Amino acid sequence: MSLAAYRTALLTLLSHYRRHPGQLVMLLVGLWVASALWSGVQAINASARDSYARAEALFSQQLDRIERRDGQPLRYEDFLTLRRDGAPVSPMVEGEVELADGTRLPVLGIDPLTLPEGGGLGAAQASETLLRFLRPPYRTRVAPETLATLSAEPGATPTLASGGTMPPLATDRTLPPELAVMDIAAAVVLLEASGPSHLVIAPEATLSLPDEWIRHSADNLTAPGQLTDSFHLNLTAMGLLALVVGLFIVHAALSLTLEQRLGLMRTLRALGLPGRPLVALLATELLILGLVGAMAGIASGVWLAQWLLPDVAASLQALYGERLGDELSLPWYYWAGGLTVTLGGLLTAGASSLWHAARLDILAMGRSQAWHGRFQRQLTGMAVAGGLLWLLAIGLGGWLHQLPPRAGLTLGFTMIAAALLGSALWLPPLLASLLAVLARTLRHRPLAQWAFADVNLQLPRLSVAMMALLIALSANLGVSSMVDGFRLTFLDWLDQRLVADLYLRPPADRYEAVADWLRERDGIDALLPTRDSETRLIDTPMQSTAQPVGLYGVTPHPRLRERWPLLDAISNDPWPAFQQGAVMINEQLALSSALSPGETLTLRTPQGPRAFQVAAVYADYGNPRGEVMLTTERLIERFQAPPGSIGLVLPPGRATDISALRDELSQHFGISRDSLIDQATLKQQSRTIFERTFAITRALNGLTLGVAGIALLTSLLAQAPQRRRQLAPLWAQGVSRRRLTGIGLCQLGGTALITACLAVPLGLALAWSLVAKINVAAFGWRLPLHVFPEHIATTLVLAVAVTLLAALLPAWRLWRLPPGHLLREFDAS
Amino acid sequence: MLELCDVSKSYATPQGPLSVLAGISLRLPAGDSLALMGESGCGKSTLLHLAAGLDVPDSGRVILAGQALDTLSESRRSALRRHRLGLVFQAFHLVPSLSVSDNLRLQARLADREDSAWTDELLGRLGLIGMRDRYPEQLSGGQQQRLAIGRALAVRPDLLLADEPTGNLDERSADEVLTLLLALVADSGCALLMVTHSPRVAAPLNHCLRLSHGQLMEATP
Repeated sequence: MSLAAYRTALLTLLSHYRRHPGQLVMLLVGLWVASALWSGVQAINASARDSYARAEALFSQQLDRIERRDGQPLRYEDFLTLRRDGAPVSPMVEGEVELADGTRLPVLGIDPLTLPEGGGLGAAQASETLLRFLRPPYRTRVAPETLATLSAEPGATPTLASGGTMPPLATDRTLPPELAVMDIAAAVVLLEASGPSHLVIAPEATLSLPDEWIRHSADNLTAPGQLTDSFHLNLTAMGLLALVVGLFIVHAALSLTLEQRLGLMRTLRALGLPGRPLVALLATELLILGLVGAMAGIASGVWLAQWLLPDVAASLQALYGERLGDELSLPWYYWAGGLTVTLGGLLTAGASSLWHAARLDILAMGRSQAWHGRFQRQLTGMAVAGGLLWLLAIGLGGWLHQLPPRAGLTLGFTMIAAALLGSALWLPPLLASLLAVLARTLRHRPLAQWAFADVNLQLPRLSVAMMALLIALSANLGVSSMVDGFRLTFLDWLDQRLVADLYLRPPADRYEAVADWLRERDGIDALLPTRDSETRLIDTPMQSTAQPVGLYGVTPHPRLRERWPLLDAISNDPWPAFQQGAVMINEQLALSSALSPGETLTLRTPQGPRAFQVAAVYADYGNPRGEVMLTTERLIERFQAPPGSIGLVLPPGRATDISALRDELSQHFGISRDSLIDQATLKQQSRTIFERTFAITRALNGLTLGVAGIALLTSLLAQAPQRRRQLAPLWAQGVSRRRLTGIGLCQLGGTALITACLAVPLGLALAWSLVAKINVAAFGWRLPLHVFPEHIATTLVLAVAVTLLAALLPAWRLWRLPPGHLLREFDAS
Repeated sequence: MLELCDVSKSYATPQGPLSVLAGISLRLPAGDSLALMGESGCGKSTLLHLAAGLDVPDSGRVILAGQALDTLSESRRSALRRHRLGLVFQAFHLVPSLSVSDNLRLQARLADREDSAWTDELLGRLGLIGMRDRYPEQLSGGQQQRLAIGRALAVRPDLLLADEPTGNLDERSADEVLTLLLALVADSGCALLMVTHSPRVAAPLNHCLRLSHGQLMEATP
């Protein structure tokens, strides 16, 4: 066959959409929404990964960090002493400047001459003329995104809030966003620092340090990508859910368009178009539609990502301290990946229809019963496949149970996906059986019997939309139960953890003076100093290599003892043991190291390995690391921990003038007013972070439910003409249009209600999997399962509401249809 | 042009295999015409499908334009159908989303044998010249069948297979369509095998056979 002949055949196939534009819209909408949500999430992930890669490149040589044990600032003399002793250390200064417009910009000052070679910082000196970087007026190197955020051009000198200016800006694509890098001499002046913040040294360099110094191994620094993996995997899972729901629409639309073109395909085959080219042409049609849908979806996805990015960036900064730019940075593989996933999904959704079209013999093509007969056979296949998927889910659940915490996140999501898909596959056989039973039971009421039998007839097309609805509803119930349960637990936990009324973090050099002054000051009941440090845990039951852990020092004041969120303890009151030298560990560490109260752990201390008894396990939501808690006194004594923050307990029932306290701290010690934070503000900040973190999840969840609604609407619209032909005989026999419309709405509302009833246990199972399995795999701690009756009620109402809303337009059309049209439908039926 | 040698065909049913053609043979030379009559369900359409290569016999051989269909691949059988055969169905099987003009040209375009002068002439002779931009649903039954005949003849086939071409039409339309069909077939010189249960439709054709209990026998319309 010539190209012209293929073109004729393709145009003939496509001409179907001229008569049925609704089906084309349904197909494109399915592809568009599936691709848009998936691409949106992937755009955010790709942009974030790019930022992490640049942040990691900044420390690419994994430099060790040297600081003073007491947290005091370094002096240049210290640096010079170490250099004179032959230590290849390099000074760095870190801080933040406030620009005239209130923007705060982190600044990193480096000394390119002593910096260990390689990595992003090394590249900075290679790419910049060294002299320009080192000499006044110096250079401020920033990422292009930072330049865009500052609305500045290269060479500009942004004005600071203090009135000074920054060195001229220069672009450096290797730097992460929201960071300015400059020569240490310029940074020290800009940050008003008295000396370097710390020194860096190549990990392989050996160095014996005096006792007052501490060397933090680069191994202990967790790469940003590692910390945020679970956050992005969550986003990916939500995007995948939307993609699957969208592909359900595509599958429904493809089945419908192929079924309605069986006659056309039979004619083309009879006129001499061979079977293989026909299937190839159908695949070409899919490819064309797929490209159009995918491109529209990707464009919308980028827009969606741009809209969601500020919230995501705020969440990531609050949760992990990672900075993302406000601008999307999309590598080539993002575009290629978006197209591949959408087209791959389209192929998956259309493969069964194409396969079936390829296998149908010419004479069977004209009979739509051949297509319908397939559905009856499919029901058995669906039940079997659903069972297999559930077996897979149970198997994966068992495997996940064997894994240590903070492992198997992908496995967990695969388990959930298998369970959701398995349940969705069970839905049509269940509905078909239920409707058949109801039709038999109501055989003495002809109209009711017809109504149930009629829904059963509609199932081949309706079932796919109902499967999408089941998945969306279950996900909605599961995720909202998890988020709201988390909120309850988190707020409770905040109340327990934040025991002091005020919190202050004085500079290390003024810490003792401030603490002494506060002890003497009237109107303060007690001081609760906290400190933190880090070390390694040696030889635990589950890990033979030394595991980095955080150290947290608290003051066991009665108020703290009463409220601290303990999950497990050696006795009803573990605090005396704690005060006598035992430690408490967070849930993450307890799970990852299989340690229980009463057991002993060994920590690396400056004096050598030391064993501590575990007195209790406490909840520590939001902390990505394992943590050991000691009394602050013991933390100083054993680990020389640097000064941290001070909690201030105020006398109950007595008003304390916090503003006056801020003024005094500022006057006496030069401490900024912002350094003193009251408990309510801290709680509010935490709540805001919490809400922002789940804003994306909620948005994607709502959009997925919207997609399921679109699936229903489009499938109802697409089959509306056929429905009218089925209803016309009833109308001709005396059933009014009003009654027919009412029956139609009841049929759909009832089917949606049955679907929602199945979605409730599935949603609760999903919520349990999220809090008990996914959370442990992602963060190392689990949440209690909360069941919210109002969420269950919402699920039921939402299902019926979404379905009725989708059914409203076709029903309204039927209602408004002139009798003459129905007469013609009757003639055609 | 068409030869069936000892062709048998049966279908599987819940009650066991149902034989519809039991070793039948027939020969239709080029330019000749043959009416195939019989009761509903006797296997007339099955025979036509076998002749068109739309179905394959259980045994026996179908030779079309000198080529044994059982030796050809599905693709070659399609090519043969595309270039050498014209098919007219009782239910027309027009493409509802294509205009009259595009429907008429469809097979000729698939076969790369579009002849504008010939298709324009056909449109005129079929009485559809003023309706070329309409869609099939805007035509009467008789007009639709005329269009289906035009589509089959637009490719200038060697053999026209017609399955109850007037079965869906009223008497007057049926007469019109039949007269037109026979005139066009005579002008084009192609052979005609027509399945019908109407003696009146079969009468103008050169030969007539009756299919009964899977066997062919001579008949007079």
